[in-house]
Amino acid sequence: MLTEQNIWQLAERYADGTLPQQELDALEQKKASDSAFATEFNECLNIIHSMNDAGKQARFRNTLKDIQAANTATAKPLRTIPLHQHYWRTAAVAAGIALLTSLSTLWVTQHNNNKMASQYSLLKRDLETYKRSQSRLINNIQQQQQNTPAAEVRYTGTGFALTNDGYLVTNYHVTEGADSVYIQSRNGSYHKAYTVGYDQKADIAILKIEDKDFRFGKGELPYSFAPNKRKLGTKVYSLGFPQDEIVYNEGYISSKNGFDGDSSQYRLQMPAYPGQSGAPIIDPNGNVVAMITGKDASSEGTTYAVSSKALMTLVQSLPKSNNIKLSKSNKLNNLTLEQQIEKLEYYTCSIKVYKK
Amino acid sequence: MDTEQLLLTSLAMGDRVATEQIYNQHYPVVTKWIQNNGGAEPDAADIYQEAMVVLYEKSQDESFRLSCKIGTYLFAVSKHLWYKKIARQQKSPGLLPDSAGYDDNRDWAYEDDINAHKERELYYSQLNTALEQLGEPCRSLLKAFYHEDKSMQDIAISFGYTNPENAKTQKYKCLGRLRKIFYNAGVK
Repeated sequence: MLTEQNIWQLAERYADGTLPQQELDALEQKKASDSAFATEFNECLNIIHSMNDAGKQARFRNTLKDIQAANTATAKPLRTIPLHQHYWRTAAVAAGIALLTSLSTLWVTQHNNNKMASQYSLLKRDLETYKRSQSRLINNIQQQQQNTPAAEVRYTGTGFALTNDGYLVTNYHVTEGADSVYIQSRNGSYHKAYTVGYDQKADIAILKIEDKDFRFGKGELPYSFAPNKRKLGTKVYSLGFPQDEIVYNEGYISSKNGFDGDSSQYRLQMPAYPGQSGAPIIDPNGNVVAMITGKDASSEGTTYAVSSKALMTLVQSLPKSNNIKLSKSNKLNNLTLEQQIEKLEYYTCSIKVYKK
Repeated sequence: MDTEQLLLTSLAMGDRVATEQIYNQHYPVVTKWIQNNGGAEPDAADIYQEAMVVLYEKSQDESFRLSCKIGTYLFAVSKHLWYKKIARQQKSPGLLPDSAGYDDNRDWAYEDDINAHKERELYYSQLNTALEQLGEPCRSLLKAFYHEDKSMQDIAISFGYTNPENAKTQKYKCLGRLRKIFYNAGVK
């Protein structure tokens, strides 16, 4: 009769491959005749194999971590591996191609940047310009703002709620370089907000209102965010603040890609005015599909908007501690357009940016 | 045998130099791609290391021959792992990058390898849970032998057994308990 220890010993030697043929044969015979033993032996063998493999993998993972740590410690540049002599020619050709590629990329990007500046205009409302052209309007603004800091409003934009408890989104270029950012809610009150995250390239900034008790509306957000791109020709509308009063606009998706083929954007046929940067673009079912970012400077009515997908990607990349839970249900889809707008007004706000 | 196959054979044995050579050679391309697709640098390193583990596990099979370059394999597996990771984070397949799935069929050719890897990881984590439930000194003893690859001689000394034979007896006892926990937990 074999003790448990004997079985383990046997299984270990079997796994190591150190069992002589004679004993192997005896083992096979015993397994064939005694099924209880066979089960026990197989379980033991399985545990040993698993422990061996798991251990090896754990050591390999440690090696990888070691290598990574060593690489980061030696100030970024990776350890160079000496090239064999006969690789030199290939290396030279590769380096030549690399140089050519990087130079041409540089040229292309620079080229694009120039184009960008001339064709793309951002839609934040610069109140300096307004001051010159419409001095009465600016006076008006200043009178209304007695409960806000002494600094002058420099830019305004539009924002809309991500969660009812004070997370909202607007364009990065609206809040860029701001000393302080306030939002003006539907009832006219001002609330200070700070930036929790942004994506400069996609031109998205996520803000949070400082006041913990702040709520946009009575309940959860009535709209949801479209997870994928909407089709060409989809009718859309937007609500924004090109002036102090909320303004409605409508249009349609005219291209699935935005400025210069940017796939994170849509191109829309819809009028847009300074101050509408960050305005939500909504489809007839009440899904947020995009956010206005800019317009084509050379043609009136061509507006660019960053897709809700890019927006959600940014939300997902924020630290979990922010606890942003995007609403999944849509309470707008059975309502008429007028009713939708009425609800949306609570969740859309004007953004005032102060700069020195 | 060509250089790549030689490297793989050394990798299979856990050889540090070969591992380092493979790791460093393909690290920049892969991590750069992940960073261009919305990952931070630590994410990129994690994904790349996971892909290295997939390659390592594949290399354990002696009959294994790569049908493509090591770099191509690591890149494809990393891409796949990264897409899966964002899909998991966003819990909605609609948020995969537009190019996912139909940009290049080859990128999805290693689905089987990745699924096998996932199953293996699940199995190891169950084994590890059982190991954690063992209590001392069994847990440390088994880890020292299997994970840290220490000899029974060393273990006898550091755990205070009079000789390696006693340590071995203890090891079998521990394995016996591990087996009971593992199989009673319904794992096969």
